Parts: sequence; C-alpha cells; structure tokens
Amino acid sequence: MTYIVASILGLGSLALLFLAIGHLLVALVLIIPTWRICTRAGFSGALSLFHLIPVIGWLIVMGILAFSTWPNGEASPGRR
Amino acid sequence: MGLDVAALMGLFGLTGAFAVVGAVLAAWMAWRIVEKAGLPGWTGLGAVLLTLAVVSSIVPLILLWVFAFMRWPRDEPATAALGYGAPSGVPGPSPTPALAPPPKTLADRRGWRLTGSLPGGRGVAFAIDGSAAAYVLTGAPAAQAGELSLSDPSVGQPHARLLTAAGRLGLEDLGTPGGTFIDGARLLPEHGPRDISAARTIRLGSVELALSRA
Repeated sequence: MTYIVASILGLGSLALLFLAIGHLLVALVLIIPTWRICTRAGFSGALSLFHLIPVIGWLIVMGILAFSTWPNGEASPGRR
Repeated sequence: MGLDVAALMGLFGLTGAFAVVGAVLAAWMAWRIVEKAGLPGWTGLGAVLLTLAVVSSIVPLILLWVFAFMRWPRDEPATAALGYGAPSGVPGPSPTPALAPPPKTLADRRGWRLTGSLPGGRGVAFAIDGSAAAYVLTGAPAAQAGELSLSDPSVGQPHARLLTAAGRLGLEDLGTPGGTFIDGARLLPEHGPRDISAARTIRLGSVELALSRA
C-alpha cells in the first residue's frame, strides 16, 4: 500500500516537473519577443517576465503596453 | 452524480467566460498596441482573430515574433525630406546633415505663435516669424538672439531647437531628461527635426505651448 502511494506521489511530482519545464519553455519563447517590444516602446525589458505568471501573465503585459504611454514615443494619430 | 455534472458544467462555463473575456480584451489591447507602433489597428485585431480561428497553433507565436522584430512605421524618419539642416552656431547633440530643399514651397508664409503658461502662472508667448533659421528653446535666461527662454526647472538648458525652412516649422529635441512632445507624442533626439507646421501643441518638460499661425 505504501509502495503504491509513494509511486503515485512520485509520478505526480514528475508530471508537475515536466509541466513546470514546459511552462518555462513556452514562457521563454514569449519572453524574447516581448522583451524586444518592451524595450522598443521604452519600458524595461524585465516587464516581459510577467509571462512567467501562468494564465494571466500575457494579459498583464499586453495591458501595460496597450494602456500606458510609451516612453519612447508613439506613432502620431496622423500616421495610424 | 447530478452535483458532479453541475460542477463540471459550472467549470466549463467559467472557463468559457474567461476565454471570451480574454479574447475580447486581447483584441482590444492588440489594436491599441499596433496603433502605437504606427500600424493600422485592424492588423492587431486580425492577428487575434486569426489566433482564435487557428486554435492551439504556432500562429500567435509567429505573429508576436514578426511584430517584435519588424520595422515599425513609428520609427521611420518622417523628416528625411523636410529640408532642415543644422544651423551654424546653434548648440545641438549632433550635427544634422543638410538636406536638399523641398520640391515645393508652401504658399502660406505667415509666422507662428507659441503661447502657454509656466507652472507659476506666468504667461509666455513667442512669435516665430521665420527671420532666423533656428531658435533655441532653453530654460536659462535668453543670452543671445534666437534664444527663447522658458524659465522652468523641467526645461533643459538648452532643451530643443525650432527650425524654419520654406514656410515650415520644425522641432528638434536636444536630448534633455524632461522630454519633448509633439501633440502628446514623444520626440527623441534620434528622430531629428520633425515638421510641426500642422501641430497643435508642443510640450517641453512640463511646459505646454500651443502652436498657432500668427
């Protein structure tokens, strides 16, 4: 019985580890371009690390980029 | 059993609601972000719609990478053919290469007026009649001809340069921390001189000046 419980816990931990690694890999693929977008907009590139937050991280980054004034300037309304 | 089904349905409902709200928010924010970069807003909306249409694909990632590394219209030098050159004797961060004059001159030869008020409440007004090729906007008291003084701590010494050429008015930021803005959009030193003939307001640091024809 103890062996079965230990096996289940071990498998669960392993699954969790793979899930975390997968999340980190996906986040990395998102962080690199977002880092560049943030720096081009004039924000700190570290803002893109919000992608590490599961589920809502991308919403936070997009919200900041969409609703704040870009320090490096935005396209003037005439160019849009 | 019924309770389990209800819980499952509730979970699906919540997930679906989150997905719908997230999609609408993403579309709205993508519209705004690409507009700030100078692209038409519908391209951002289209990207999100494409992402929704091709669920769980690599499409959003590709679009994100393309947007991050593409050339943004915002960064294109709008003043490349304006015909402004660096006037001699006027301080600046780097010499601006003299460019060829514009192919056509504008018929409107009136000057400009810059009016505003300093944070202390004092009014300020400058007349730009085009008699000089350049004017320097500075936070220090005007020491020589062509210097326009805005005595405010947020205004650099010097802060920006106004250039006149062929009936048009240009503005160039000289790299001060307070920043220079044209109709709310930040002007950076690397942008060079920008044509502000049709602009309504410029801001130097915290001092906002309304621009009008004299």
